[in-house]
This record gives sequence, structure tokens and C-alpha cells, in this order.
Amino acid sequence: MKPSLQYVLVRAIRNMRRNLFPNITTVGVITISVLIFSAFSLIAYNLASFLRIWEDKIEVIAYLKKKTPAGEIETLLDKIRQMEGVESVNYVSPSDAIAFMEAKLGDQKNLLEGIHSAVLPPSLEVQLKKEYRDSTKIGGVVSQLKQFPQMEEIQYGQEWVDLFSSLVHILRLTQWVLGGLLLLAMVFIISNTLQLAISSRREEIEIMQLVGASPSFIQVPFYLEGMIQGLVGAGLALSFLFLLQKIVLFYLPSSMKDWLVKIPILFLPINTLVGILLGGMILGFLGSYMASVRFLKSSQ
Amino acid sequence: MIQMIHVHKTYPSQIAALTDISLEIFPGQFAFVAGPSGSGKTTLLHILFCSERPTSGQVIVNGTDITQKGFNKVHQLRRTIGMVFQDFKLLRDRTVGENVAFALEVTGYPPAEVQRRVLEILKWVGLLGRERDSVLTLSAGEKQRVAIARAMVNNPSLILADEPTGNLDDQMANDVMKLFMALHRQGTTVIFATQNSDLIQRYPFPVIQLVRGKRVDEEAGIGIKA
Repeated sequence: MKPSLQYVLVRAIRNMRRNLFPNITTVGVITISVLIFSAFSLIAYNLASFLRIWEDKIEVIAYLKKKTPAGEIETLLDKIRQMEGVESVNYVSPSDAIAFMEAKLGDQKNLLEGIHSAVLPPSLEVQLKKEYRDSTKIGGVVSQLKQFPQMEEIQYGQEWVDLFSSLVHILRLTQWVLGGLLLLAMVFIISNTLQLAISSRREEIEIMQLVGASPSFIQVPFYLEGMIQGLVGAGLALSFLFLLQKIVLFYLPSSMKDWLVKIPILFLPINTLVGILLGGMILGFLGSYMASVRFLKSSQ
Repeated sequence: MIQMIHVHKTYPSQIAALTDISLEIFPGQFAFVAGPSGSGKTTLLHILFCSERPTSGQVIVNGTDITQKGFNKVHQLRRTIGMVFQDFKLLRDRTVGENVAFALEVTGYPPAEVQRRVLEILKWVGLLGRERDSVLTLSAGEKQRVAIARAMVNNPSLILADEPTGNLDDQMANDVMKLFMALHRQGTTVIFATQNSDLIQRYPFPVIQLVRGKRVDEEAGIGIKA
């Protein structure tokens, strides 16, 4: 005969209520640890998403030598169109460039008075295929473009993309190193708190063993307890993070808000949220497993 | 059938708790394990209950060789054994009924069956109507009756009692002894450890006499001469 899952679950919850203080402490520590870990995840996730948007907009501007004969331009455009990774090429003549700048400056276009279009070089706007919009692959396309003798200078904001990419990498690395340490601490804390809780029920466990309770019957409620603590702690951490994000965005200075209008600030995606909740449960389980194995080994 | 064949138990501190113990107890038999404090009575019961392992020798309980390598069905064996202690080992934060029911709940009996068996066994030990009382309100004799009810509620075939009357006055001890006699009459094997020689003399049961971990009662008639 085996005790029902309902009985085991009821026992786990009853045990938690009987040891309320150690349980609250454990859940609190888990909440803080998961909050720190998921805050790093959130920042890295938003920066990575910003980087993706930025990379999507990346295009290569190739400035041509001023004396490039008009007849060569069409051939050059055809050659570039056939290059690997190039989606489209657009020729911008000096007069197009002036018109573009005037449009950009709007009311302040008088700043351009006296500037003749001849001072501006003709250029090509090279749009890359999506899979070529990262700093390594752009570099490849750019070095091919440099082979054309008509090219004067090529710009694509490489330094910014590289810097931003490094920042995201550093954040991700910090998230996992710091997160890893915090998660180890969590297992240790859960294990110790549960060991205290188990020790306080030494008498009950001893009697369970006397009357023939199976080891799994004794251990499973502790595993459940650890998993519930992990789940509740992780759930609270994510709720706090959500609130924290809302509060920070609400209190941002208006100048920053205007700047952020074009950048979507996201909360963690659903699969990350589920991963964090499951991770909390697994760590809770590991902590309680370590505690119960240690205790039951010494008490059998 | 309980068999111990050349059983030795030495603790890590090199104290010999049992030396070359052999015995055979038949189903339904009542046997005393007698001896002064430190003679090895409790160690002998603990070995039969699998809470201690012998250093050497063979032990067979209810047909199972519990000393064989890889034996890991301790909890299943314990469901066929009821253990009663001098200090009762009751859960102090539970009622009489909850303490008795505990033995059934942990082995997975359905609630209705638990309720039926608990009331039946409490009636048998004379505590019907006290099931909702906290065990803290009971006298020592009543506590021992609750412990016996808990040990019996699973219908075990073997009862191991470790000085169950040690904390009781004569009247209470007699009441408790009557319960063990009733168990014996029902066909349960009872191994009763005590250092009370008056009690032993009052009952016509074989005695395994221990002195410093050795049997000194070869004429008692229940030892096997291996």
C-alpha cells in the first residue's frame, strides 16, 4: 500500500506551516538571490534586443571618389548587387545628399546656405541581408567593397556595434558568474534551513522509521517543501522585478523617456520566466535532497 | 520464527555488547530477555528490529535473513514488527488517536480504514473515548497503552518490547502486562526485555538471560546449540 500524493502534499504544507520562520527565511533568501540573477538577465535581454534592432538598421555607406565618371557608377552598382550578403544598393548623388540633409534639418536648413553640392562626395548606401548584419560579417563585405578602385571611404559604425556587443557579452558573463555563485549559495541555504527543519522533526521521523514508513515516504515531503520554497521564492523575485521595472520606467526623467520612445523596453520573455521558475524548483529540490540525505543517513 | 546464530555485536569503541548469541523463538512464543542494565537486552532487540547491524553472525526474522548483503527492505520488515519502548516514543503534539493512526497513515491505509482500526485497537487497550485527548494529559500507564495500540494496529506477527514496564508502578505494570498476555494468547510472538525478576518469576515463559552480552541460560530451553 502506498500513501497518496494528496497525503504527501498535505504533509509537506503542514510541515511548512509548523516551521514557518525557517521557511520564510529560506524563501526570502531565494527571492533576493533570484531577483539579482533575473535583474542581470533583464538588463542583458534588453541590451541584446536593442543591439538586434540596431544591427537591423546597420547599413554600409561607401563614399566614392569625387572624380568617379558617371558611366562607371551603373556598372559598380551591378557588381555590388551581385556580391554575397548584399540585399540592395542605392546611389546617392551629391545633390541627393544635400536634399536629404535639408530634409533632416527642417527649419534649420538655412545652416546649409552657401554649401554647394559639389563639395559632397557621391555615395552608395549598401543594405545587407539580415544574416550579414553582425560586426564580423559586415567586415567581410566591407573588405570586398574596398577592392573597388572607385571607393574613397567606407563607414558602417563598426566601433559602436563592437562596443555594444562587448557590453552585452560582459553582462551575460557577469549574470552567469554572479548568478552561479548566488545559486550555489541558495542550494547551501535551502539545504541548511531544511536540515534545521528536519532536525526539529527528528522525533517524528524516528517514529515514522519505527512504524515502517518507506524512505521515500519520509523524504518526498522534504523534497516537495524545497521545491515549493524554490518556486515561491522565484515567483516572488520575478514579481518584484516586474514591479521594479515599472517603477524605474515611471520615475525616469522625461528627457530620457523621449529618448527611450523608439526603444522598446521589454520584460523577460515567457520561456525565460518559466526557466527561472523551474530553476528555482530544481535548486529547492537539490537543497532539500542534500539536507534529507545527510539527516536520514545519520538517523536510520 | 526468529533465529540468531552466533551473533556478535561490538561497537566502534571496542565494547562487546553481544558475544556469540544464538537463539530460536517459535511463532506465537512469549520470551523474556532478562539481565541487568548494560547486559545487551536493548542491543539484541535493536538487531531484531534492524536499527543495529550485528558485527558478525546471522539473524533471521519472520523468514527474512536480515544480515544478508544488500538487504534493504527494512521498512517492509518493520511493518510486520511492533516495537514498544520504556519511554513510549509518542508524538507529544498529537492526540491519542493521531498517534495510533500515524502507524497506518505512513503505510498508506485509506482514512476510513485508519479510523476503523484506530477505534478498534483503542477499545482493545481500554482507551476508547480518549482518542481526541492530547497524549500529554495521559498517565504513564495510559501512554504505554497508546504505544502498545500503535505497535499493534498494523497486526504485526512479532512484538518487541524494550522494558515497557520500566517506568510504571506495579498496578500500571500489571495492566500493561495483561495486554501483552492477551497478545500472546492471540498468537503474536512477544519478546519482552526486562530487568524485573519479580515479573519474570510470575510468568511461566522461557528466559534468555544475558550478562555482559553473553547468554547464561542454556537450560532455558529456547536456545539453539549451534
